Amino acid sequence: MHIPDGFLDLMTIVVLWLIVVLVMILGYFKMGKVFQKEDSEKLIPYIGVLAAVIFAFQFVNYPILWGTSGHLVGGTLVAVILGPWASLIVLFLILVIQSFFGDGGIIALGANTFNMGVIGGIVGFYIVVFFMKLLNRTSLKKEVKVTISTAIGSYLSIILASFVCGIEIGIAGAVPLDISVPTMVFWHLFIGIGEGIISALIIFFIYKTKPNFILTESILGVE
Amino acid sequence: MDFIQYKRPIMIIALVIIALVLMIAIGFPLGILSQNPDGLERVLIDYNGESWLENLFSPWTPFLVWIENEYLAGIIGIILTTVVIVVVFYFIAFLKRRRREKS
Repeated sequence: MHIPDGFLDLMTIVVLWLIVVLVMILGYFKMGKVFQKEDSEKLIPYIGVLAAVIFAFQFVNYPILWGTSGHLVGGTLVAVILGPWASLIVLFLILVIQSFFGDGGIIALGANTFNMGVIGGIVGFYIVVFFMKLLNRTSLKKEVKVTISTAIGSYLSIILASFVCGIEIGIAGAVPLDISVPTMVFWHLFIGIGEGIISALIIFFIYKTKPNFILTESILGVE
Repeated sequence: MDFIQYKRPIMIIALVIIALVLMIAIGFPLGILSQNPDGLERVLIDYNGESWLENLFSPWTPFLVWIENEYLAGIIGIILTTVVIVVVFYFIAFLKRRRREKS
């Protein structure tokens, strides 16, 4: 879903950059959970590890149907671990480095961060919160509830991000809007399955190995 | 600097690199991984043909795109990502701590 340079029109580029910068500034002030505890800085090396894992997973594509592939975006996954605001900064920095490799444009970084960080991360996180509220009515174990919610949230956020990405390339005229939106959503209906499964497995693995790294339990309403 | 607190993260990073290298080495022959276009590329190719890739105009030449070996690119990417994220988050933590101390 990495939009290359030269595809979007100037207005879309500027507007999305502005939104992303404003949300990141807001995120800096709201990013309390990561630094709430005195010893929270000890978690920073692990945030680096998490980013490395996301980079590795974004680097390789898994096959889906009809000669198409997909890769992990990881926005919702990072948001469930670190919180929605920190996830935006993590995704932005990963996308910066990927753009240096030519994977996604440098000028289109605002649009890519909007799709994968704001929609994939922040919006995806609140979808997870919604499903956590539903699952809290059940007697499932907390790690199972978070894992299922993350899978659903990751899946839906990818479809939503592909919908927005379709609008962006449609507005830019790269592909007519009536084609770009349904086809982007169609392909990501399949790609999102991989996103949901990988995200859920990583969350479950963290719960089993380093549960205190999930910093959002209070926001998620884990019971 | 207390390197002991970095021992475990560094070991995990090494494991991530090994896993990525193995994934690239055996993932494609086994069919677990694919070099087919992703969703966005598929939409653009279906509408514009394969040529859209060659006609792309980029005012920036990506800095690391000259690294053609995917193993090297993956390893550099992972290390770069880790270093940048850790530096930025330590800086944010430093700013937050200073702000807390002032207030």
